[in-house]
Amino acid sequence: MRRLLFSLVVALPLLTAVSAQEAAVRKLTPAEQAQLDIDNKGRSTPLTAEQWIARQSGGNQAQRKSWEPTPPPLEPRDFTGLWQVPGGSINLIQETGEAAPFTPEEAKRTQQLIDAENNGAVLTDAASQCFPHGVPRLSFAPYPVRFAYLPGKVLMLHEVAHNLRIIHLDRKEPPKDTPQSFLGYSVGHWDGNVLVVETSHFNDKTPLDFHSSHGTKLKVTERFEKRKTPQGYTDLVVRITIEDPDHFTRPFTVIRRWPFRSDMAATQGADGITEYSCEENNRNVEMSSDGKVIIK
Amino acid sequence: MKSVFRPVLLAVAVAIFSASAGAADAGVWDHLPVAQRPQPGTPNLNGKWAMPAPIRVLKTSDGKEPPLLPAAKAKYRANQAALRANPKSDPVANCWIQGVPRITYAPYPMLIAQDKDRVNLVYETNHTFRIVSLRKPLPIVDDSLDALWLGYSAGHWDGSTLVIETIGQNDRTWLDYAGLPHSEKLKVQERYTLDGPDRIKGEITINDPETFSKPWSTQFTLVRQPGYDLQESVCVRDHKM
Repeated sequence: MRRLLFSLVVALPLLTAVSAQEAAVRKLTPAEQAQLDIDNKGRSTPLTAEQWIARQSGGNQAQRKSWEPTPPPLEPRDFTGLWQVPGGSINLIQETGEAAPFTPEEAKRTQQLIDAENNGAVLTDAASQCFPHGVPRLSFAPYPVRFAYLPGKVLMLHEVAHNLRIIHLDRKEPPKDTPQSFLGYSVGHWDGNVLVVETSHFNDKTPLDFHSSHGTKLKVTERFEKRKTPQGYTDLVVRITIEDPDHFTRPFTVIRRWPFRSDMAATQGADGITEYSCEENNRNVEMSSDGKVIIK
Repeated sequence: MKSVFRPVLLAVAVAIFSASAGAADAGVWDHLPVAQRPQPGTPNLNGKWAMPAPIRVLKTSDGKEPPLLPAAKAKYRANQAALRANPKSDPVANCWIQGVPRITYAPYPMLIAQDKDRVNLVYETNHTFRIVSLRKPLPIVDDSLDALWLGYSAGHWDGSTLVIETIGQNDRTWLDYAGLPHSEKLKVQERYTLDGPDRIKGEITINDPETFSKPWSTQFTLVRQPGYDLQESVCVRDHKM
């Protein structure tokens, strides 16, 4: 027994060191293989182990090392600390690489906005006018977020435009007469170590990304899970399932990985969350080239 | 005899104290991940709070007008006149972030969410929050430090009182709804003390040598609001939606 313990204690760090170097060619652990199988579900071209490893972490390894000078708390349900969405991911492309299953009307509307933008129009949306970003738009914005815990609640404190989300773990469904709002009403529960958040009662004033709209029937289910990258860094993986029968032909899922950013804790200000005064700096109510304010 | 007996007594006293603190604490921090739970005996300010009587005109503890310096007094009168002429002259009417301490007595409820390293103050009014570290010191104020709407805050426990010090605020906010001005030299100390399980006795001390002839204090009360959900509150100036 002692020998077994000894060999585990000595061998494990070695194994980790080797796997960090040879990440791209090593074999997946059974747990990783199981995760790859889940991620490959529904993909027309399944990811190889190598591709899967490569896409686990945002940023290159040198960046990841500087982003995570200290690791996050060990407890899987402990999301304390700073997570930052990498930039360049404000879109609805599914993990399969496919576009969202737009209804014909929504496909047309989305394309019109893309074309307008390509022709020099400045798109104005809720976020650019300092309204809350909406969901999942908020989860695509490349700014840090901090989680906080209250009895029966999880709070998400986003740097961008001080967006504030309250996840009600102490409710199974929203109260009667819940009004529509930009960020909707979120109820949540733990499924193992996955925080499952279901949000409804959205208004229809936010885009889902930059170009696609939604209606008040929108339901968003987010599954937040801390996951180690093969190189030993930590992502908060967010699987976002979007349902809105007026805009999409079926529910679909996009995935984002938010790297842990303990380096940002050194930022002066609100414990790593810099004050963001949209009202002062970031308002964008410019007109499009034909003189119209474009919303959504 | 003495030298043996004293440590024993001390140990017994500590054991009784920790047991009672532990008992009073039982379950209070269960919602937090284990590594984030405060020391046993830390006052529990967690929850939803509101001021029963929101403060509109800030007065000193003895009910007097704050000790304004002459130039600041003239500015206060000018702000009051501007406000009478046009309510929109209030920075808050333009949806600017409210500043400290004014945000504390905005007529909206707030949440306090503690863990061992920080106190999060989450205000319904225009969905604004402050994340106050209990571990990191205040930055040094010099020309390289950007003045912020909510400034830079650091907190600590003074016995059972949560103390938050705030510096580095810009001078574009008012201290109250009546137009009380301040400069960038403003230092604010907030003190939050539980007064029974459902009431917080608050005290604010204002120290701004460019605006006031001496530091002064004022009191406030927060009362628990069980069963209230914080609503989405949005303030956007001249919005187009």
